Amino acid sequence: MLKKLKQSKIKFITILSSLFLALFISVPIICIVTHTTLSALITSILSEEIQFAIRLSLGTAAISTIMCIAISIPAAYALARYDFFGKSFVNTTLDAPLALPPLVAGVSLLILFGTTSFGKALADAGLVLVFTPLGIIIAQFFVNVPFMLRILRGTFQGINPRYEHVAETLGCTKAQAFWRVTLPMSKNGFLAGSIITWSKGIGEFGAALMLAGATRMKTETLPISVFLNMSCNELNLAIAAATILIIISLISLFVFERYGGFTRVF
Amino acid sequence: MIRIENLSKDLGEFFLRDVSLEINDGEYFMVLGPTGAGKTILLETIAGIYHADSGRIFLDEQDITDIPPRERNIGMVYQDYTLFPFLTVEENIGFGLKTRKVTKREIKRRVEELANLMGVSQLLHRYPGTLSGGEQQRTAIARALIMEPKVLLLDEPLSALDTQTAERLRQELKNIHSITNTTIIHVTHSFEEAFLLGSRMAVMNKGEIVQVGTPNDVFRKPESEFVAEFLGVGNLFQGKSRVDNGIACIDVGDINIVSATLKSGSVHVSIRPEDILVSTKQIVSSARNSFKGKIASIVDAGTTLKIAVDVGIDNPFIVAITKQSFDELNLKTGGEVYITFKASAVHVF
Repeated sequence: MLKKLKQSKIKFITILSSLFLALFISVPIICIVTHTTLSALITSILSEEIQFAIRLSLGTAAISTIMCIAISIPAAYALARYDFFGKSFVNTTLDAPLALPPLVAGVSLLILFGTTSFGKALADAGLVLVFTPLGIIIAQFFVNVPFMLRILRGTFQGINPRYEHVAETLGCTKAQAFWRVTLPMSKNGFLAGSIITWSKGIGEFGAALMLAGATRMKTETLPISVFLNMSCNELNLAIAAATILIIISLISLFVFERYGGFTRVF
Repeated sequence: MIRIENLSKDLGEFFLRDVSLEINDGEYFMVLGPTGAGKTILLETIAGIYHADSGRIFLDEQDITDIPPRERNIGMVYQDYTLFPFLTVEENIGFGLKTRKVTKREIKRRVEELANLMGVSQLLHRYPGTLSGGEQQRTAIARALIMEPKVLLLDEPLSALDTQTAERLRQELKNIHSITNTTIIHVTHSFEEAFLLGSRMAVMNKGEIVQVGTPNDVFRKPESEFVAEFLGVGNLFQGKSRVDNGIACIDVGDINIVSATLKSGSVHVSIRPEDILVSTKQIVSSARNSFKGKIASIVDAGTTLKIAVDVGIDNPFIVAITKQSFDELNLKTGGEVYITFKASAVHVF
């Protein structure tokens, strides 16, 4: 095997670099997981703080994902099916959060909800977004909605409108045709979009940090927990939170590759 | 009856321009035209998928121009079947009745009935992705027919199928039409289909209807250069074919035409005008068909001349010859000539 590899320098060098890259990525991850003993890890994971962070992360990510789906279905459908004035402007704008550093997105959200009269009106109405779990949800939504939108837009574009046409001749209203035909046909897109949005929501740090802050046991999601515990040298707790994040990413990566890998994200 | 008055629709690449048509109850109506003629968009506008820019559509004297597709009761079958891939054959066929809130038992009964009619009853639990093209098309037709539509629109239903399957399904379409007596509008680019199925037909080009009539009329009396060119063939006869000794002999009246296409029974025969030789004396050759006749007319068709030769049957043979040959042979109206063509030039369908 090695002899064969040496026959071609290029082959040897390229394969070596890919192996090195794989090593460079897997070793640090393994380092985190193996840094403490298993019993210390389990104790940390079962601690009240980490349990709180797990619940808050899963919960906020689930809610922001549902919000992303709810708004992306009509928006993506319009962008896939209709031509309208300002369509390319809308397309570009909706992609902006992808390019924006999450930290900057968070600052802009903080200014909007914390300093403007619009933000104050929302707060007066009971929707306090600054330094609250609600802020985490909004931050995740802001950063992640372009992913959901792009996946659903691509999915809808890939479905021939003739399916809806036929459904309409079979007694459906336009809404029924969408509900009974297009939606079931978009199943894979929804699955892929939800997994991406949800797992990115769980990992969301920058924007959430700016808008919701990092308050222990209040806005402490898993990434915030890693950050807080690293800052106060609580290495075991930080590693516990990081380990959970790794597990969640690996599972979603697997599910995405398995069921939604064909969906075009970009 | 369906009446279309001055219908126009512009979708950019495809468009309809001032289309007027009347289609009678129970009629099998063909719409024939080349790709891009606007055939599909005509069907889609009749179905209500697109709203007409101008003009009206009447179904049984009711103006349906502004009525949504679901209230028109017009069935539509696309060329690519558009079966719902996530539903079984059974669920596909029953889709429309479910919309109408028919009871489950009744849906099951009707689905079985339609599946029987279309010959897909053994496929009810399969998904469309596992079916052949012919099976998918049958399912799609069953799905449309279960609604008992007043009009069934078929968009090139046979053109995605292989020749054998297409031929079988064509025969079945004819049977279904006579069983259900549904008004059918069938779009195609194949003249053969139009001829075999249609009681009347319309020829379309560039979004307009250029001629309407029985297939025979349109074929015999093309009203424009386009129709003549598009239909292409020049000689069409009906007759009874007998296959004997590896050759088909077709009695088309007072003469027998020999063909290499082995098909027996009642058939149509066509011969392209370019494939017929004309001579002033009988020629001895390997060609199996040779008839004596009189020149009935001579028409200048640009680069060639079209000569009608009366051989004593209802319709004269049309022969295309170059101007040089015409001059050399010194042909005149009323003159006696021989026409000769090979058995392999005789197209039987």
